[in-house]
Parts: sequence; C-alpha cells; structure tokens
Amino acid sequence: MNDLVTLWVPLAVLGLGVLLLLVDVLTPPKKAAQADVGWLVAVGLLVIFGATFLVDVQGVAAYGAYRTGPWALFFQRLFLVAGALAAFGGVEDVQKRTPGRQGEYWLMMLFSLSGMVLVPGAQNLLLVVVAFELMSIPLYVLAAHGKTDPDEASAKGNAAEAAVKLYFVGALSTAFTLFGLGLLTGLTGTTELARIGAAPLQPLAALGLLFVLGGLGYKIGMVPFHMWVPDTYQGARAPFVAFLSVAPKAAGLAVIAGIFAFGMQTQKSLWVGPLGMAAFLSMAIGNLLAVTQSDTRRLLGYSGVAQMGYVLIALATGEEFGLAMVLFFLVAYLFTNLGAFLVVHANAEAGAGFEVDGLAGLSRRAPKLALALACFLLSLAGIPFVVGFWAKLYVLLAAYRAGLVSLVVAGVVLAVIGLFYYLRLLRAAYMTEPTVSRPDERFGGPALGLAIALCVVAVVGLGLFPKPLLDAATRASHDLGVPAAAPHVGAR
Amino acid sequence: MIASYIPMFLIIAVGILLATVFFLGSTFLGPKQAKGAEHNTPYESGSESSGGRHVRLSVKFYLTAILFVVFDIEAVFLYPWGIKFRSFGWLGLVEMLGFLGVLVIGLVYCWKKGALEWET
Repeated sequence: MNDLVTLWVPLAVLGLGVLLLLVDVLTPPKKAAQADVGWLVAVGLLVIFGATFLVDVQGVAAYGAYRTGPWALFFQRLFLVAGALAAFGGVEDVQKRTPGRQGEYWLMMLFSLSGMVLVPGAQNLLLVVVAFELMSIPLYVLAAHGKTDPDEASAKGNAAEAAVKLYFVGALSTAFTLFGLGLLTGLTGTTELARIGAAPLQPLAALGLLFVLGGLGYKIGMVPFHMWVPDTYQGARAPFVAFLSVAPKAAGLAVIAGIFAFGMQTQKSLWVGPLGMAAFLSMAIGNLLAVTQSDTRRLLGYSGVAQMGYVLIALATGEEFGLAMVLFFLVAYLFTNLGAFLVVHANAEAGAGFEVDGLAGLSRRAPKLALALACFLLSLAGIPFVVGFWAKLYVLLAAYRAGLVSLVVAGVVLAVIGLFYYLRLLRAAYMTEPTVSRPDERFGGPALGLAIALCVVAVVGLGLFPKPLLDAATRASHDLGVPAAAPHVGAR
Repeated sequence: MIASYIPMFLIIAVGILLATVFFLGSTFLGPKQAKGAEHNTPYESGSESSGGRHVRLSVKFYLTAILFVVFDIEAVFLYPWGIKFRSFGWLGLVEMLGFLGVLVIGLVYCWKKGALEWET
C-alpha cells in the first residue's frame, strides 16, 4: 500500500486515463463528434499538477526501483504542465480533424505521460527502460494520428512519414540504449542506478556509455542523431509536435543525468568528452542548418537541436550547480518552444501555411499573436527580460565555473547565429506586408489562445522573477546526489 | 574482467567456423550438376509451392488475440492471489478489486467500441 502512495503521480495520470476511457465510451455517439474531451485532460493534468504542491510524499517504492523526491517531482511537474498546455493547444485541432475519435488521441497522450512521469524517479535500469518505452510507443501512434485527413490534400502522407521516421529511429535508439546498458550491467552485475558506477574504468565501460549516449541522444535530437527531428516536426500535427519537442526531450535528459551525472559520476573522465563534443556539434549544426530553413517547423526543429546543445553543456559539468541549470533551462525551453509551435500552428490555422513567408504581416493581422511570437523568439534567442536569457546565462555560467571555457565561447558565438534566424521570423511577422488580407481570419479557438497566453505569462513572468524557479531547480538538483561544484572559478 | 568474456568469443568463433565449413563443404563436395529453374525454387517438403508470399489476414484476428492475452493475464494474477487470499486480508481484496475494476472498464471500452463484434 505504501508503494501505491509513493507512486501516486503516475497512478493519478493513469487514473485520469481510465476516467477518460469511461467518458469516451459512455458519451452518446451523437454528441461524441463535438465533445472536447481535451479540456478534461488539460484540467485533470492541471489538478494533478496542483496536487503535487499539497501532497508531500517522499521515499522509495517497488524495492528501491522507484524513488520520489524533489528531483523526480520537478520533472513530473514539468511533464504535467507540458501535457496540460499541449492539451489546451490541441483541443480544437483534434476535435476538428478526427471528430468522434478524439478519445484515442488523448488516451495515447495520457499513457505516454504516465510513462514519462515514471522516468525521473526510476532508480533501476530495468524501470528506466520500461518507463521510457511506455512513454515512447504512444508517441509513435500520436505522430500518425489523423493521417488520412480528407480536407488537407497537401499534408496527406506527411503524418505517416513523420510517424515512421519517429518509430524507426525510436526503435533503433532503444536497441542502442539497451546494448549499452547491457554492457554496463555486464561489467558491474547490477541494474541499480546507484551501483553501476562501480564499473571499472576500461574500454568496455566507455563503449557502453557511448551506446547509451547514442541511444538517448536520438530521443533528445542531439547531433549526430538529429536527422529525424525536422522531418517529424514538419509531418506531424503542430500541437502534437509542440508536446513532442519539449516533454520527451526533458525525459531523455532526466535519464542522461541519472545514468551519467549520478550513476557514473566516478567515471566522469569517460563521458565528459563525448558529452561536450555532442553539445558543441548540436549547437553548431543546429544553428547553422536552421538559418537555411524556409519552413517554420523545420526551423524550430533545428533550433531545438541547437537548444539541446546548450542543455548538454550544463549537463557535461556533471555538478550540482550545472544540473540545476539544466532543470532551469528545460522549464524555460518548455514554455518557449511549446508557445512558439502553438503560435505557428495558430497562424497556419488561419490559412497562412507553415512557410516563414506565411508569417508576413502577422503584427497587423493578429497583433496579440505577433507579440506572443516575439516573446517566444526573443526567449529562444536569449534576449534579456524573458526567461530564455536567464536559461542561457545560467547554463554558460555553470559551464564556466566547471572550467569548460571553450564550450562557453562556442555557445556565445553560436547564439549570435541563432539570433539571426530568430530575428528573420520576427522580421517576417513585423516588417513585411501581409501577402493576402482576409478580414475574417480565425487563429484557432479559445483553448489554443489560452495555451499561448499561459506560455507568454510564464515566459515573461519567469523572465522577470526567475528566483523561485531557480531555488526549486537547485533543490531538485541537490536531491539527485551528484557532487557539489568544484572550487568557485567565477562569482555566482 | 575481459578474461570472463573468453567463452563468449569462443562461441562466436565456433559459430563462424562451423558456418564456413558447411558452406565450403557443400560447395566443393556436393554434386556438380546443371542448375535450372527447378533448383532455385523454395523447397518445401518436396511439394511445389503455390500462391504468393503475402497472405492477408484480417485485423480481427490480432484484435481477438490481444484481448485474449489481456484477460489471460488476469487469470494468471488471480490464481496465485486466490491461493494466498487469506493472508492478504481485506487490503488484498480491495487491491484485487481495483485491478479487476480497471480490466472491467477496459472490457466495457472494447465492447462499446465494437471490438467484440466479428461481423462489422
């Protein structure tokens, strides 16, 4: 019974899924086509999110395979918020595209979330893999949802392509991860995260770690495993991509932090090099390739690759401070990227398409939407007074304190390139004439507007008052149990 | 540590060796005769093969099989639970009822969605 209490967050998400199943099946067929079950999902997830602040449960469950504490809770809150925002953002789209079958979409999403909230608490490699797959498999289904859409002939087939690419890459990455974890387990004879650090420093351990990094690198879209990102982002529906581009990446980073920074903390010499290299390549290739994109979804996809590079810098420090900055960055990235995708989606809903040129004259067609886009893009670029600025600053600060100076220099230089293409989007939205003007344009429904508004509030609010989030991130990172920072190099 | 992997490498080596010996043996020792179209047909118990390789099965079979597995697992859990029922007490009963409740909801879902209808 105690186990059930400790596991209450995953169970609550599953319970919401069961409730949704009942609602879906007991709704009369006549009403089913109009039912916005997405509202139920979003509100339910927000209720669970609120409950995480009231319920104080810490401890281990399932014979030590799962541990809940500030670290797990931080990620769980992140996932719940991401799920709620994506649900608000997708209600109308799902209802419009698959009337009468909305329940399937939301069920898959909740099942994916139930795996996701298990991931950060997993203390056993077996549970890590199972929870990760529980998260991933519904995502493949979601990517293909509504692929046979009658009213959008041009986009037909793209969702299938997106799903197949996501699926093959996902299956391959699981095989990679399992092979690497197999080597580590073979070296130490244990599947417990806390004890795989006993692996001797030898080539086989390095090989295992490389395979794990490769497998998880696919999931977070890290160079050189980023090929699927732009295609999947372009093919799948934007509200789903908004979710895909933040939550599973955060889960992947939770696992990387758990295995590398926590589990293998004594083998830091083995992984700090590959991780730093991956960080540099992700920043460089993501930023450079984003410049040439003409589709906003592909552009945001490559920009996401670059952003992952920045997170990996902080992760490569392997210290408590660096990991806190990873958490801070992930929250900033959650609101920023999710919001940006939803704005792009809203613009496409108005019939302007997903091309960068489609944003033309957005400031006149929809001033509020353009302002929201400006907030998100400035945050992605790392301009002060929005949360993205603090995220980039803290990440670079953590890397500087850990002595990764070359990565800091690369990060700053490449951020300037990033500024170029983010401003290109802004220029399209603010400084070009609208190509077509239709006075009756509709930029999605009220739920989509609500999701974007919440994202703007978070991006600006956390930009002005980053302290509470910073404290929470520090507490969570302390809970993981990685070594505290080395002697201070710079001032805090 | 590497030393403990030696048996594994031995197995791999023996596998490669055996495969090589068999292939080379059949190439060099086997009867040399003209290879016609007959030679290249897939061999199945001496009878000629017929039809295409791709047999289309109705998705209903998979659906039924998966539903069977779900409720089969239920039985797998119920038997050991039934044997130890007394020592679990009331808590065990409540927990099992919760498990069954979730399964019943699943059954209702399948039923209402028409997964149990064969003719649709």
